[in-house]
Amino acid sequence: MKNKTRRTIAFYSMVSPWLVIFLCMSLFPLLYGLYLSFTNYYGFNMDRLSFTGLHNYKLVFTDSDSMKALVRTLVFSVINVPLSTAIAFVLALMLSGNIRGSGIFRTIFYLPSIVPVISTVLMWKLIFTGNGGVFNTILGWFGLSEVNWLGYDYATVSLIIMMSWGAGNGILIYLAGLKGIPRDLYEASSIDGAGLMSRFRKITVPLMTPVIFFNVIMGLIGSLQVYLQPILLSGNELLARPIEPNYMYAVHAFQQIFASQRYAYGMALLWVLFVVILLLSIIVFTTSKYWVYYETDQER
Amino acid sequence: MNVTSNRSLGTYSLYGVLIVCSILFLFPLYLAIINSLEDWYSIPVLVPDSFKLSNYSYATKLIDFWRYAGNSVILSGIAVVISSFTSGLVGYAFARIQAPGRGLLFMCVLSTMMLPAIVTQIPTYILLHKIGLINTFLPFLLWAIGGNAFFIFLYRQFFMGIPLELEESARIDGCSIFRTYWNIFLPISIPVVATVMILNFQGSWNDVTGPFMYLKQDQYPLATALSMIGYKANGSTQIIQQVSIAAGLMLIVPVLITFFLGQRYIVEGIVTTGIKG
Repeated sequence: MKNKTRRTIAFYSMVSPWLVIFLCMSLFPLLYGLYLSFTNYYGFNMDRLSFTGLHNYKLVFTDSDSMKALVRTLVFSVINVPLSTAIAFVLALMLSGNIRGSGIFRTIFYLPSIVPVISTVLMWKLIFTGNGGVFNTILGWFGLSEVNWLGYDYATVSLIIMMSWGAGNGILIYLAGLKGIPRDLYEASSIDGAGLMSRFRKITVPLMTPVIFFNVIMGLIGSLQVYLQPILLSGNELLARPIEPNYMYAVHAFQQIFASQRYAYGMALLWVLFVVILLLSIIVFTTSKYWVYYETDQER
Repeated sequence: MNVTSNRSLGTYSLYGVLIVCSILFLFPLYLAIINSLEDWYSIPVLVPDSFKLSNYSYATKLIDFWRYAGNSVILSGIAVVISSFTSGLVGYAFARIQAPGRGLLFMCVLSTMMLPAIVTQIPTYILLHKIGLINTFLPFLLWAIGGNAFFIFLYRQFFMGIPLELEESARIDGCSIFRTYWNIFLPISIPVVATVMILNFQGSWNDVTGPFMYLKQDQYPLATALSMIGYKANGSTQIIQQVSIAAGLMLIVPVLITFFLGQRYIVEGIVTTGIKG
């Protein structure tokens, strides 16, 4: 009994730094933001806040700017997440065999994902610039006409290309997962005469689904709240409003709060985003039992 | 015979694809390097035709570069030293100490990993503004003390894999729980500690929005400063792309160095913690 109390005290004293900061600087602000989203707070009226009920939320769903931004963000994520998942998975797959120099290739593919966003954007602007940009120069070599990569029609394509460059982020996790697949499974199946494709379909993919699953969820969460890349790709500072096709949902919230001081409305926007992310995560989680393969004794 | 030649053909084409991919991935970096050495306001080039190293010195002179770099060092130093330590402590408690409420609290850790950062960042900004903690490094210190959900998770996964006997023998020798953590667990956890430190460094070195919200301009770290201030010649409004790129490349250097120093540990750390879902 005494031992148990001692352990409880040790546990709580060890987690206390996290627990205190979590309560004060995560949970409380989260709920405080929820509270503000029901008021008319605009930055200077803290001492005479009035309660406006669901007004801000009604505004979120009737404001055409925010609804368009939400749809845009969903479409962007539906393209961006599978694309970067596929890129990272295929790259890892190519490196998983006995490849000479696999360490160098791994470094090259992983590298772009650790480059700071602002550096990434500055680099890609060289490529996308309309006037003498590198993509247009290359198009010119093939006799094709120039394209305004950062203009209305191509801005989102450019954003997706730039984001794909950082897709190697997941490669380490995939490699770790691929390493965990027992060799003898492949050997047994090749004795049974299974070809490369069927081994890939019947062994590699099923055994890798938990890892893919983890990456898809994290990718989705990241993709739905993307704002830094679209903002910096179009403008030269954080308060710049990006070109419309890249005016994503989180960008809209960022703009409303920092450019227009509409804090209460901005918090409502963010809470809607939070709920959407939560719902999507729940959907992915609950459907996962149909497509995620877990070993029989699932560790938790 | 046929099989072997077939296999080597496959290997060659695999190498071919890998090399093409490598070129594609390195291409933007190559462009950035050669264009950082071009004349001001010139059109982006694919082949270097000029070698103006002076762009790099302009990058440090046209804005208050070293002050911002110093701020970056302070902010990431706080995160690397403090957050890596406390995250380990918390991760250890979650992995190894039985206590009522542990499961529930661990759910809280997992759910903060899912929570979009800006949902809490903005109300935190409003609160800090109210109590006058804006424009100080104190919030960053507090966040560091609180650790980071993902790192707590990484540490916990790693510590769970360490055999129980190790701890039992330490307890028989009369080690306190904290001593067990410090003297026995930490020394064999170098791969995870290094992984967390490097990821921590990258995270705070690359953070743009946090400092933008909570600090004033002369306190900005480099990443935020470069995102907010464009390089312009005196009296001009046009941004000098070549100097900006030079600054952008200098921003990458510390991240690259730490990555190369710790690459082995990151790979090992991710394999051994076995993030498998």
